[in-house]
Amino acid sequence: MEPDAADDADLLRAHGAGDPHAFARLYDRYDRQCFQLIRRLLGVAHSDAAEDLHQETWIAISKNAAAFDPGKSSFPAWLFTIARHKTWDHFRRQKVAVLSSAQDDAGMMVPDPGQSPLEQVQSRELAQEIIAAVEALPLEQRGVFVMFAQAGLSLEEIAQVTGVAVETAKSRLRYARAKLRQSLAGERPAHV
Amino acid sequence: MSDHDAAPDPMDKAYAQAEAVLSEDSERAARRERVLAAVAREPATAPAVSSPPIRRSAWRRGGWLVAASVAGLSVLLTTQVYRPAPIRQQPAPTTPAVSAAAAPEPVVSPPPAAEAPAQAPKPAPPAIAVAPRGARPSLGDLSAAAPPPAPPPPIAQAPVTLPAEAPGLSEVVVTAHRRESDAAPTLAERRAEPGDKSAEAKASARGTLKPMRQPDFVASPPPLLSPALRSSAGSPPDQAARLRDAAAAGRTAELAALLAKGVPVDASDADGETALMKSIQADHPAAAALLRRHGASLDRKNRAGDSARDMATEFGDAELDQALGLDR
Repeated sequence: MEPDAADDADLLRAHGAGDPHAFARLYDRYDRQCFQLIRRLLGVAHSDAAEDLHQETWIAISKNAAAFDPGKSSFPAWLFTIARHKTWDHFRRQKVAVLSSAQDDAGMMVPDPGQSPLEQVQSRELAQEIIAAVEALPLEQRGVFVMFAQAGLSLEEIAQVTGVAVETAKSRLRYARAKLRQSLAGERPAHV
Repeated sequence: MSDHDAAPDPMDKAYAQAEAVLSEDSERAARRERVLAAVAREPATAPAVSSPPIRRSAWRRGGWLVAASVAGLSVLLTTQVYRPAPIRQQPAPTTPAVSAAAAPEPVVSPPPAAEAPAQAPKPAPPAIAVAPRGARPSLGDLSAAAPPPAPPPPIAQAPVTLPAEAPGLSEVVVTAHRRESDAAPTLAERRAEPGDKSAEAKASARGTLKPMRQPDFVASPPPLLSPALRSSAGSPPDQAARLRDAAAAGRTAELAALLAKGVPVDASDADGETALMKSIQADHPAAAALLRRHGASLDRKNRAGDSARDMATEFGDAELDQALGLDR
């Protein structure tokens, strides 16, 4: 993500100046990661809202292009910050109780079963199981894990996006991985 | 905790592969069309990215200058336009220059100042509504040598030095403030009934300019300053910064003192962040509660589009929620 930061700012600037293709190029770079982050944060129960929130996020990016400061954060960090807040807004509108950090931490006390990697995801069924396991993670851990594993954000960027210390982001990632291993090992011992 | 956590993990790879397996290109293409069409339908974006923080802070500085200038000029105009007609029976009030020159000639202006206004530009801006010259004399008229039959009141002699010194805006403001403090008692005194010589009437008249009745030719006083400008004009930006710093550090006593001084509670920094946001980010419920009691907005958004409410929601701290009056 890091090397593209300047280019992203250029594209945003071009979009602000009226270049009709600049925004599409920027969108193509990050739409997949953005949508998947929103989709995973929402989980199964709210998956219907993913398309709308994804669209709202990009509209917000377009409208606030002038506010982006590449010196303060990378574009993906800014994008995911907005996407995450859109998701939180949705939860608030739906009266969904978002787990607090303290509750999350209590849920993180899971013993790490050690290395049991999924070397390859060979089937759609297994892929769905992995996704289900990710969506079963506590919300904060889930967000950190998806941003790190799929969107490629650094821990520093994730800390910036989520408004926590780097150490907190790091521990959330660690517990997320441990929980996934445990969860997937419990469901598919033969494969994991 | 180790650096191992920051390195890629097989679980990360498995998840990325799972997302790739489940990803539908057709859905993605349809989504792309929808999003880009929606973005295109939205109103035009704000100006391009070129260093917005600098522009904003520059505007704020300019805003202060404009607000101060407008305030000064409005005071200047008020003392001129709303000035009641001269009362000849009144004894010449306070100004020493007038008392020295009172008997033979009603208007005495210092020689250099009396000549200067002829060349100097008039400080009053054309955008602000001023009464017709026939009805009330303008500053230029007053500073020029007036004919004996219509002597300008003593207060009009004070500004004669203004154009000669400098036409700079800040000096106009300073002079205007000086004149306001000097002029207020004089004007108020002259408002008193000619027959009323009691000390109480004079004392009450000295207190304020508020009871002054508007002249008939002014239908309603023009709104010289918006409420927002008035509130920001009262406190310099460094006080707003101090307010945010105090909020971030949880110094409630300092917060209370600044708020009591009239520092705008929702004044934001270059990132659009208010004192309330700072207190939430730093987890200072007492400071947040104090700011809320002074009307700090929960819904005002920063540059990233986040409000204080968003931040509190994200923080998820029960004590903070209670301090903010949020019910979850």
